[in-house]
Amino acid sequence: MTNTLSRRDFLKVSGATIGAAVLGQFIPPWVAEAARANGMLDATNSGYIPSMCEMCVWRCGLLAKVEEGRVVKLEGNPDHPHSNGKLCPRGQSGLMNTYDPDRVLTPLIRVGKRGEGLFRKASWEAALDLVAQNMLDIKQKYGPEAMIFSTTHCLSQSQFESLLNGFGSPNYGTQRSLCFNAMIVSNLTTYGMEEPDRRYDDLKYIILTGRNLMEAISTSETSALSQAIDRGVKVVTLDPRFTKTAAKSAEWLAIRPGTDLAFHLALINVIITEYLYNRQFVSDYTSGFDRLASNITQYTPEWAASITEIPADTIRRIAREFAVAAPYALAHNGWRTSNFVNSFQTERAIGILNALAGNWGVAMFPASGEESGVLGTPPQPPYPRVSAQRLDGVPWKYPFVPLKIGVFQELREAAISGTPYQAHGWFISRQNPAMSLPDRGRTLEAFSKMDFIATIDILMNDTAWFSDVVLPEASYLERYDPLNIVGDKAFIRQPVIEPQGEGRSALWIYKELGTRLGLSDFFQYADEEDYLKQQLAPLGVSLDQVRQTGYVELPSEIGEFSEPNWNTPSGKIELYSTTLDQGGFAAVPQWEEPPAPQPGQFYLLTGKVAQSTQFGTQNNQLLHKYSDEPRLWMNVTTAKNLGLANNDLVEVASTAGKIHIKLEATQAIRPDCVYLTPGYGHLSKGLTVAYGVGASDSDLHVTYTDPISGGQALSQTFVTVKKI
Amino acid sequence: MTEIKHKTFLFDATRCIDCRACMVACSVENKIPMNKTRIWVAGIGLKGEYPNLERASMVYHCMHCNEPDCLSACPVGAYSKRLDGPVVYNPKKCIGCRYCMNACPFGVPHFDWDKGLIEGAFIDKCTMCPQRIDIGLEPACVATCPTEALKFGERDDLLKYAHDRLAAQPARYVNHVYGETENGGTSYFILSHVPFNELGLPELSSRPVKDVSEEVMGFTIPFALGWGAVLTGLAAGVHLYNQKKEADARKLETSESQAEEKK
Repeated sequence: MTNTLSRRDFLKVSGATIGAAVLGQFIPPWVAEAARANGMLDATNSGYIPSMCEMCVWRCGLLAKVEEGRVVKLEGNPDHPHSNGKLCPRGQSGLMNTYDPDRVLTPLIRVGKRGEGLFRKASWEAALDLVAQNMLDIKQKYGPEAMIFSTTHCLSQSQFESLLNGFGSPNYGTQRSLCFNAMIVSNLTTYGMEEPDRRYDDLKYIILTGRNLMEAISTSETSALSQAIDRGVKVVTLDPRFTKTAAKSAEWLAIRPGTDLAFHLALINVIITEYLYNRQFVSDYTSGFDRLASNITQYTPEWAASITEIPADTIRRIAREFAVAAPYALAHNGWRTSNFVNSFQTERAIGILNALAGNWGVAMFPASGEESGVLGTPPQPPYPRVSAQRLDGVPWKYPFVPLKIGVFQELREAAISGTPYQAHGWFISRQNPAMSLPDRGRTLEAFSKMDFIATIDILMNDTAWFSDVVLPEASYLERYDPLNIVGDKAFIRQPVIEPQGEGRSALWIYKELGTRLGLSDFFQYADEEDYLKQQLAPLGVSLDQVRQTGYVELPSEIGEFSEPNWNTPSGKIELYSTTLDQGGFAAVPQWEEPPAPQPGQFYLLTGKVAQSTQFGTQNNQLLHKYSDEPRLWMNVTTAKNLGLANNDLVEVASTAGKIHIKLEATQAIRPDCVYLTPGYGHLSKGLTVAYGVGASDSDLHVTYTDPISGGQALSQTFVTVKKI
Repeated sequence: MTEIKHKTFLFDATRCIDCRACMVACSVENKIPMNKTRIWVAGIGLKGEYPNLERASMVYHCMHCNEPDCLSACPVGAYSKRLDGPVVYNPKKCIGCRYCMNACPFGVPHFDWDKGLIEGAFIDKCTMCPQRIDIGLEPACVATCPTEALKFGERDDLLKYAHDRLAAQPARYVNHVYGETENGGTSYFILSHVPFNELGLPELSSRPVKDVSEEVMGFTIPFALGWGAVLTGLAAGVHLYNQKKEADARKLETSESQAEEKK
């Protein structure tokens, strides 16, 4: 498979995009007209329009350069704190998502077998009627709980939830349990908040536990870390791979996978036994120190050394360095923390370490959050009461997992097993469970249990490929979304060009579908602009003003760190958690040995690269152009011992399945691990760039759920590798 | 005389995370075809043996030499060095001889075979985004760099900045600003934590390659004229000799025939 496109391909692309531009003539050019009226575009429809990126969930501000009604370049918006004038490679490539010749530009209704890829074009009217009719049939036959709704973190999530809650289904699948459940649930238990804000300005010492900021780029945070390193801040990175973050760190510790908890327990041990903790902070703001202290004595650096394969002296030294640097020290709580079944307690230990350092108000701050009461919302009646149990086991099996987060992989399991009841329909928006969930074979099996599947996306993603109806969304450069609050401003995403084909915003699609489902009371807005006007009403700012500046200043409520409000049962940071104790779990973090590979097996690691986001960007030609070919990393020495060489085609097998992929023999990984960049191995032939490239780790991942946080243990899959 | 502002890039290898935002930004800004690029990631990448490892890579594009070899080698004047820094190329003048490709010590100019055969000769390389810098913007690659590994500014300012950094953090860097003197100075400075050859950069003296070649080439005309004179003289001599020989032969023939006639 070649990674470069031929000239012929490029000509095809140009032809397709020109075609789309010509097609655009038939739609009244209201975007350009409004932008001209606002002074953003000149008489030739050229100029800059501020909006917001959607190539990942960081949501950088952008300035779209438009020439004669086409986006020709995206720049970071200097006014947005997430971009500060910069965009990462994905952000820079964003216009190619919009101009992807593979865009789905009309509603599609399946005509062949599921997975055959045969669809017919349909009008919105016909497609929405069909979706609504199927959903109502399922509701009538099996009850509303037989419909699964799933979506990913996005600005129109609350309108999606209006469909879910208005319809009356408890079955909500988000991606969170495949990502950061361990971090969120741990922070809620320890601090009473989901994710504290981090600041790098005054730091002297940072411990990164699997937060690969130089590859999993969050533009402003990546930039802040880079500046911190430049100032001479000491960064210690724990990672079984020599990532690009490890390369920029002062110290790289190639820790044994699954043992981050042991490392942090030993740090806490040193800090407590050597009296290096912030006594004032601990006595003022924490509870349960004595129980933590008496339990921690067993976790000495010598104990941790044999488990983590990091020398005791190194652990002791890092503990002391961290304590000396405190409160200008941060143990980063990571992001995608779905690694092992002990990931929740690992996150607890990291949270406790930060509390002992007393770094609140210096490195960590109460989360400012995205939700705020300062914006208006359309009126709506209360949602119907839902009495059915959730299929994913929240809260009856997973009492600690927030309802809005859920346990996605368990939802899929219930869809297969039919317990406690059988689901019959799946409504999916901008999500791709066929790629994201572990054990892809089982996800496809779950699809086969469904009477009806509908998917909303801008592309024929792998889940859409197995759907009965595909609804084309307008891309993020073609539509409005609800305002997004960052700090003391609310930012706008607005169309910078006319939607191509029949693409429509999620706000429009949800409202139209909601109306057909008899839920119009939950969608009381005439159109997207009306929704935004209702949001802006309490502020007395016009939509035109916000469209010009890209944001609106909010009445400031965020002051300096004063008395934090710890929303926990004790009202303090809980070093000892009574809630966990009542749930029958370890109330202070305790070592839990995760499973390890048998001889001849390897840990299968997952991770991120700067040129792709999850499963949705591999078809972007610009990113494809500058991406490395996805290969299976294996340590050079290990490969040699197995008689394997660079670019050998190998078979990788787990108990869930097997894949074929090229090998990359590298020094940059522990000898007992292999690594595969996720997001490749697409099933949809509607993705003409990405189809046939690489392989998917979801074919290998075995489903393991952490009983406390509900997180999927993504690194707990062990594989064998052999030459084919 | 008004002072000329001479623009320059500064690349700090210690800050580059090889994310390739610069490459994408360049491709979009300059409408580069999907199978072409004006920026490469150069350098050895990973260095060392597990677990003692280091990474070294650089954003490689035109160095915008103060005394460009491409310009010097071009027989039709398709290249020019703008007073404010960029080395620019005019495809209308290009005859496709590709001397510039051989001349550039950094291997930067690339011949576009696709265009070359259909649309006429075309050499592609970084232009320093004149369309942006002329209106006060940074080149596309610099403007988007998330870690500020790329900077852009006045040559004097950046040179001072680079030396200040070397002085402030001697343990962090190789003690040299690449491009300050290399090849007569370039408009692309590089700071590095590894030897510059590990970033893919050639070792060059401060004397521009073009000076050496021009010095040598300077003898061409005198040499050609002198050698021409020698050859002309030689030819003339041969010619005269032949004429004389012919004349003698004719004389001989004439006297022989006269002798025969007398018989």
